[in-house]
Amino acid sequence: MPNPLETVLHHSEPIDPTLWEWLSLKIDDVLGLHSSAMVFILGAVTVLFPVVVMLLVWRRHRITRRD
Amino acid sequence: MSFGDGPDGLLTNKDVSEKSHNQPRMFYGWYIIAALFFATFLSIGARQGFGVFVKTWEEDWAVSTAAISFAAAIGTLVNGFSQPVFGWLTDKFGGRPVLLASFFVTGLATAGVATISSVLGLMVLYGFIISFSSGGIGFQTTGVIVARWFEKKRGVAMAVLVSGGSVGGLVFVPFLSYLLIEVGWQAAWIITGLIALLIGIPLLLIVVKSKPDDIGLTIDGVDPNSEEGLHGSADAVGPKFVDKWFDALSSRPIWQLSFGYFVCGITTTSIGVHFVRWANSEDITTGTAALAFGLLSGINAAGVLVVGLLSDRFQRKNLLGGVYLVRGLAFLTLIFLPGDIALWAFAVIGGMSWLATVPLTASLTADVYGVRNLGMLFGLANMSHAFGGALAVFLFGWAFTNWGSYNVPFVVGAITLLAAGVVCLSISEKTNSVRFNRISQSNELDSGSVTAGAS
Repeated sequence: MPNPLETVLHHSEPIDPTLWEWLSLKIDDVLGLHSSAMVFILGAVTVLFPVVVMLLVWRRHRITRRD
Repeated sequence: MSFGDGPDGLLTNKDVSEKSHNQPRMFYGWYIIAALFFATFLSIGARQGFGVFVKTWEEDWAVSTAAISFAAAIGTLVNGFSQPVFGWLTDKFGGRPVLLASFFVTGLATAGVATISSVLGLMVLYGFIISFSSGGIGFQTTGVIVARWFEKKRGVAMAVLVSGGSVGGLVFVPFLSYLLIEVGWQAAWIITGLIALLIGIPLLLIVVKSKPDDIGLTIDGVDPNSEEGLHGSADAVGPKFVDKWFDALSSRPIWQLSFGYFVCGITTTSIGVHFVRWANSEDITTGTAALAFGLLSGINAAGVLVVGLLSDRFQRKNLLGGVYLVRGLAFLTLIFLPGDIALWAFAVIGGMSWLATVPLTASLTADVYGVRNLGMLFGLANMSHAFGGALAVFLFGWAFTNWGSYNVPFVVGAITLLAAGVVCLSISEKTNSVRFNRISQSNELDSGSVTAGAS
């Protein structure tokens, strides 16, 4: 029986751990950043996007109420 | 009524200009898309990120990959079963409460994974609870919300939503991987759960509304007092709109779309699992195969947006049929081209079609049957996709084990894709879709029956 973890990047199935290990080494080679810097950058992207959306909606509500 | 500075209190051009200047220019539906994009990003990114932790769990718990795989396999099946359930709940209660409840339970359970110390705990928490609850963040919930907000730009709106999953794989999986290195697996799961609970829930609470009427808007943001608003999309129904979801089962389009989606499941999931094995059998390294699959994923994220844009201009069934035929062509490259050329040809040609079926199938289902039962109908289609995929993964593996080659499964894949392409091209979209054949509800009520009429 094939291992379901070998399903890669289609819809919501888990990524293959072996493939991911290889890919993460390649990312490290290309970017050369420390893992804590990557946590900060990717974490900032993840958190800032929804915060910006909430701010834009709040601003819109304020404009609509003022009118 | 508005009063301005003009004679007799009427609005002057200046008043109108100032008022229109202060009015929000962007349709609120796009904020909903942004919030749902994040929900999809987080949900799919976290599920794909499961694979990042496997080796650590193997070492920490002294268990085999197979044992952890079993928890993942349970999760895939449970997630498949949960989709029509959440689709039905979405139709009954609206997308917002279903999404919020699912996000809350998923976030809490995700943080709870940090407390697990055995595979049994993983099976219960990930295999059952997270996999079931995350079904409520799937396309049968988010897609229904999008379909209720958009009609004219439904294709591109769905495509942006679907691309959230691709971006989640590209951003959140590496994020989890680096978190694992920096803070350990327990903290990584707690942080993921906290992102869902402390950022995801407020975002959904503030932004997402199940339908435009909830905040006094109309579908597509059409002014209800305009000519288009009075006779347009807000109250239009199509000739195949149904009150009960099972009424749709007696018509052809749902079977045509579901057959196509079943084939989509067969051909994408099987390739996802067997692509690297096939590459290895052709003397291609795992690293090169992974790179080719990465290229496929990148092209797929762009392809889904292009198809979404085109689908709002052209008949969706033609694009859907075309997508299946293009994927069939990609399968043929695996059979007829030499290994290394086939690898890259498949990545490019297959990438163009990989996720493009999702926004097209969801939009077409909404166009033909309306949004009232879309959750249940799309949930059933998603379930057929999941089970078609699971069956194909097993049969492809069986064929390779017994015959030592993937040629026969690839031929079967190409034939089923050709069939799916022809079946989807044969859908009578101009007759059945509300985009081409609309009747206003007032007319329907006046005449007492729904009659097809050309627009």
